[in-house]
Amino acid sequence: MDAFLQHLVNGLVLGGTYALLGIGLTLIFGLMNLVNFAHGELYTLGAYATFAAVALGGWNFFVAVAAAIVVGAVAGALCERVLLAPLRDESIDTTMLVMIGLWIALQNAELLGWGGVAKSIPHPFPTAPLTLGPVGIAPLRVFVVLTALALIGLSWLLIQKTRLGTAMRATFQDRETAALMGVKIGRIHTATFAFGSALAAAAGALLGPIFLAYPSMGDLASLKAFSVVILGGLGNLAGATLGGVLLGIAEELGAGYVSSGYRDAVGFVIIILVLLFRPSGLFARSQRIG
Amino acid sequence: MLRLEAVRAAYGPVEALRGIDLEVGAGELVCLLGANGAGKSTTLRAISGLVRPTAGRIVFDDRAITGAEPSAVLASGIAHCPEGRRVFPHLTVEENLAMGAYVRRDREGIAQDLERVCTHFPILGERRRQAAGTLSGGEQQMLAIGRALMARPRLILFDEPSLGLAPTVVETTFAIIADIRRQGTTVLMVEQNAYLALQMADRAYVMETGRIVLSGRARDLMNDEKVRRAYLGG
Repeated sequence: MDAFLQHLVNGLVLGGTYALLGIGLTLIFGLMNLVNFAHGELYTLGAYATFAAVALGGWNFFVAVAAAIVVGAVAGALCERVLLAPLRDESIDTTMLVMIGLWIALQNAELLGWGGVAKSIPHPFPTAPLTLGPVGIAPLRVFVVLTALALIGLSWLLIQKTRLGTAMRATFQDRETAALMGVKIGRIHTATFAFGSALAAAAGALLGPIFLAYPSMGDLASLKAFSVVILGGLGNLAGATLGGVLLGIAEELGAGYVSSGYRDAVGFVIIILVLLFRPSGLFARSQRIG
Repeated sequence: MLRLEAVRAAYGPVEALRGIDLEVGAGELVCLLGANGAGKSTTLRAISGLVRPTAGRIVFDDRAITGAEPSAVLASGIAHCPEGRRVFPHLTVEENLAMGAYVRRDREGIAQDLERVCTHFPILGERRRQAAGTLSGGEQQMLAIGRALMARPRLILFDEPSLGLAPTVVETTFAIIADIRRQGTTVLMVEQNAYLALQMADRAYVMETGRIVLSGRARDLMNDEKVRRAYLGG
């Protein structure tokens, strides 16, 4: 039982960041009908931005994490303006290929810039775990899960309660009518892509210090993000949040009770099962986007 | 107030409008009649900026709005209440109404108008927090009209407001449109139900395959032999 609780807590930490990745991806898919294969590269960017700021720039760790999120948003906005805006009326296949190209280009740029050796990101937290009864958790992980939850909460507020968020949802539901209401669809696209990218970068900035930063780290992150989106149902925000947490917990339980070598496999077996039996996602009946 | 001069528009290689001349005076209720595919909706879409005209001019209050973005057209005072109501199904009634006022920045005015719409259409007031997709067709039509009013337009374009509604609801809808006009908002309406439309309109245009083939006072058109045969069932 104690081990189970421990796995649950670890799963929650992992799941919180998966949820961040998934929310970003599902928003971009739902709103822009874009399969963003470069999502994982924004995650990598977040980790490297944090590394650069802390290890090379000597910045405060927390400031560095915040800066990494901003870097993700700016990179996302640029990418949308430069690459995607001219392709707005192209088919989903075209934009998907473009994103695959961006994925390859960014990953190799990272390899070129940082080298293939994994970087460890320094952080100010003590390594001794906090113990709560039978459960021990590293302070860094507490910070990660709390920040992830706070960002999820902020995203929810942005989407549900602000003028921009309402316009995003309206555009998602009926693009043409949203345009008739005076919504500038192009701006909504840029904002959405920037927002999704910022969340991916946040996930990278948060997980980077737990694991390591290396050029191909985004590949697995992309896969996880797609898994989360499939679990939750495409375009389903609450689904992505729950899906992320579920995936994190499932992986930790699998790693704990089966074999830690099968950690990633457990997640993907679940995806296959979901696709077989509930192809529109575990939470398909709840409404899409919010 | 609104003038179209030789407006042409096309969807790809298919020309939908082949030179439309049309005028709507301030305070008028003008109706656009014609069979399916005649180009009525395209005319409205060209005015509101959803379709970019390939030729011609659209002038609103002496300012050219030809090819302007929908947001600019709306800001200039033209709201478009689209065919099939097109409420945002997963937004609440209140959020739908707020979207209608998206281009406005005067918070207080928006809040007042929201109350006014909810008072005017009590059913919307009762269901403020409900998702618009759960409303009945008639209620959705009220919402679509209320949403268009939230922009405080001087001209409203209605596209087939009676489409798919029960006969009693159609009557209510037309009463509301007549009411909107009485309060000083100009109306340009596309409508299949020619009989009802001509009864309430001042003037009307009849379209056929992308052209205007007939125009005149509604009263005269109602007695026109050709119109009677084609659109009023004898």
